[in-house]
Parts: sequence; structure tokens; C-alpha cells
Amino acid sequence: MLNVYRQLLRLYPAAYRRDFADEMLGVLAEARSEIICKNVIDRALFHLREVLGLVAGALTEHLRIAEWRDFKFPFPRKEFTMRNGFRFPKSTVIFMMLILGGVLVAIKKGGDIARSLPDVNPQIAPIQPSHWALVPPVVLLWMFFCALGLLGWAVLFGLRKSGMHRLERMSDSQE
Amino acid sequence: MALHDMSYGAIMETLPLTEPVLLILLSLAGQPQHGYAILKDVERMSDGRVVLSTGTLYGALRRLLDDDWIERFEDEDTSRGRQAYCLTSQGRRNLQMEIDRMKHITRLASLRVAARER
Repeated sequence: MLNVYRQLLRLYPAAYRRDFADEMLGVLAEARSEIICKNVIDRALFHLREVLGLVAGALTEHLRIAEWRDFKFPFPRKEFTMRNGFRFPKSTVIFMMLILGGVLVAIKKGGDIARSLPDVNPQIAPIQPSHWALVPPVVLLWMFFCALGLLGWAVLFGLRKSGMHRLERMSDSQE
Repeated sequence: MALHDMSYGAIMETLPLTEPVLLILLSLAGQPQHGYAILKDVERMSDGRVVLSTGTLYGALRRLLDDDWIERFEDEDTSRGRQAYCLTSQGRRNLQMEIDRMKHITRLASLRVAARER
């Protein structure tokens, strides 16, 4: 498992790795040697926590380099922030009332029209509009492009030419 | 920016501290500690409620080092390659400020709750 951690540490920016990677690996080794005598569930939870911590930490460090200094990874911390500074403008209430009124009038009109028509059509099964046939291909196409994008990113990441690596090189050259 | 260049207002903006950061600082308040000792100390102080991962701990340590709240401690025993950390005077002052803030809140809360129960 230490090899896995070693690989995960490679996700961190180079400057961070230089400063902390050996130390972190030492801490992980110590923690692992203690957990090794515990039961399977404890061991699994330990490894899960460490893997998630390393991935989240690496992401946070990259985002910090990208100047998102105030970014905090949204892992549950038993706290949340309330934004009490935001207020809707007063006109919102008027517009919402107007829209609600419009919807109620439309429902009423629809009911009147339905009642005014003679009930000559027999009950039939729900009609499937033909454009529904387009949905699966569109979804498939969207998934295909997502997979293509992910593949492209993975190739660039493997070649160490992704945006993260370029930012990392830029920050290194600035130092 | 180092913290000693910061104004009082800027320091107050960093408060309140999150629980993990507060516990890390408290762990270093007594004596210099290395990473694994901090992890165990935080777990012990919180009765097992706060269990930090190594990634989370070192993320916090990096931020505290950058802000000059803690510094690397030159330990004579470097045989195991472990780096110890200790509070800077600025870090200690800010920790005290946070403790004072918490004391004030606790006192206020006790008074309000007691007044309500009467």
C-alpha cells in the first residue's frame, strides 16, 4: 500500500513534493504499522481516509497554485456557511406574482377549452412524440465526447503536459 | 505575506479557526512535535472525533508555515528523518487571540442560556 501512497504523492505539485513528500511517506508508514494489527474494517477505513486525503490535498494544492487561494475542498466538516448578505430585489416578488397569475390563467383557459371540445375521441395509449427517438443518440454522443475529452486529458496528464503540469512548471520557474 | 506584516484586522479575518487547525496549534503549543505525533495528539485531544489524514494534516501545516504561524524545529534527533514543527511567537499570539475569542463566546452563551432558563 505504501507504493500506492507513493504514486498518489506524485499528484502533488513538484515544490510541495520536494518539501513534504518524504515526511508524509514517513508518517504514512508509521500510521500503517500501527493499523496493521487492527481488524479489516479499521484497516479499510484507514486506507480510504488516507487515499481521499491525499487526492483532495493534491487537488487543493493545484488549485492554490492556480490562484484560488481561498479554496477549501468541500469534504464534510460538520459545518456550513450561511450567506446572509444576499437579498433578492423587491421587484422579484412582483415578477413572481405576475408569473404565478399567468400560470393560473393558463391552467383555467386550458380547462375551459378541454371542456368545450366534444368528447368524440376514444381513449388511446399515450402517444410517444417522434423527437423522443433522438434522445438516446444525443445522450450517447454526449457520453462519447465526454469519454474522448477524459481520454485526451489522461494522455496529456501521462505526458505531463496537462494544464496542471504547465502551471506547476510556471510556478517553478517563477520561484 | 508574513503574519507580522498583517494588521490586527487581517489577523481577525483568519479567525475563527477550523477545529482541525485549532487542534494542530494546540498540539504544538506544549512542545515541538513531528507529523505523526500531531496526528495522534489531535485524535487524543478530540476523543477520537477528529481523525486527520496525512494529506489533510500536511495541507494545514503548509498553510500555517506559509502564514508564519508555525516553523520547522531544528531537532537534534534527525535519525529517522522526521521533521518537527513548533509555534512561532506570532502563531502563539494568534492562538491566544482565538482562545480569548472562544472564552468570550462561551461566557456570553452561558449568560444567555442561564437568563433564558430563569
